[in-house]
Amino acid sequence: MKAGTDRHVRFAALMRSTQQGDQTAYALLLREITPIVRGAIWKRRGSMLQPSDVEDLVQDVLLSVHTARATYAPARPFMPWLMAIIHNRLADSARREFRRKGNEVLVETIPETFSPAGTNIKEEPYRDSEALRNAIHRLPKGQRESIELLKLRELSLKEASVESGMSIGALKVAVHRAIKSLRVTLRKSGT
Amino acid sequence: MKTDDLILQLAHDAAPVRLLPSPAKRTALWLAVGLPYIALIVFMMSPRADLTERLAEPRFLVEAGMALATAMAAAFAAFSAVVPGRPRWLLLLPVLPLSVWLGSLGQGCLDILLRASPFVLGWDWVCIPAITIAGAVPALAMLLMLRRGAPLYPCATVALGALAATALGGFGLRLFHPQDASLMVLVWQFGTVALLTALAGCSGRRILVWPRLKLS
Repeated sequence: MKAGTDRHVRFAALMRSTQQGDQTAYALLLREITPIVRGAIWKRRGSMLQPSDVEDLVQDVLLSVHTARATYAPARPFMPWLMAIIHNRLADSARREFRRKGNEVLVETIPETFSPAGTNIKEEPYRDSEALRNAIHRLPKGQRESIELLKLRELSLKEASVESGMSIGALKVAVHRAIKSLRVTLRKSGT
Repeated sequence: MKTDDLILQLAHDAAPVRLLPSPAKRTALWLAVGLPYIALIVFMMSPRADLTERLAEPRFLVEAGMALATAMAAAFAAFSAVVPGRPRWLLLLPVLPLSVWLGSLGQGCLDILLRASPFVLGWDWVCIPAITIAGAVPALAMLLMLRRGAPLYPCATVALGALAATALGGFGLRLFHPQDASLMVLVWQFGTVALLTALAGCSGRRILVWPRLKLS
């Protein structure tokens, strides 16, 4: 009990020095009150918070102590002053948390696509790669080459044009016809 | 940022601070700004012609006196609310003068009812701008003074500050506005004080916030 009282008297003395601009006393005071602040936060909300959130709150309290240091009256006890700030910052944090949770929607499985219909095609993706490879192989040379450059190697139209010697317009037409042919061929083969 | 690094930065930024005076001293300072302004408003609007007679009436004295006492108690409570560690019951300090003020107005209404006289409730819109103008400078002074403290209970603090400013404005209004019918005073004067107090209280969290520190 005596040790606790001595410590509180010491805090009050350090705070008085802080108010006069003593940086060493201030650093010492902040270091000594940090475990008290951390303990108070753990005690009141520790079960609901991650360790990183607790540390954020500790820093929040220290910043508030810094902002409000002119409001400490040297003749009054230090601990009620500090505890009032801790309780206030805890209440503010709980209020923010409550508001944040009010804006959240809990879902069991997170959707993997966006909501517009275009991103939710119900058809099964094409999976017979062997049939596709054969169908590409049977395409005319220009169409096959355009598919290989633009769709398999994923070159840009400009790069494909340089590599094949075909114009960009010709490449566009060739790839369009190739896809049309592939669709017909694969539908016929039933794959 | 690590907590140890934050402590070093805060200590580095720890310039000497000007201590906040006690709530009693701040209340006196606020009244020193507010009362001369109210006196100026009363002088500019010219005091009501029957003021001397009214000052001899106990009911008028109680009502005007309680408006002033409410202003003082609310100011003291507001200044206490921005000092961490002060007892929270201080926030309820203006309840007593406010109750006497309201009770006195209520008794006036009751007397009319017992005398079976008809209730006369007319329009007296002038109370709203009059109290707003009379309370403007005290409200501004209050806001500037409250911002020097810690915003522990922003809604209650701003409501108390607004109550102090509007009650002081209401006190001034009694001195230049010739309206004494209890029901009219209750609805228009007390109503304006209550309305402005409630509106200010609702916006307390936007008015009083913990400042964001810029650390060097």
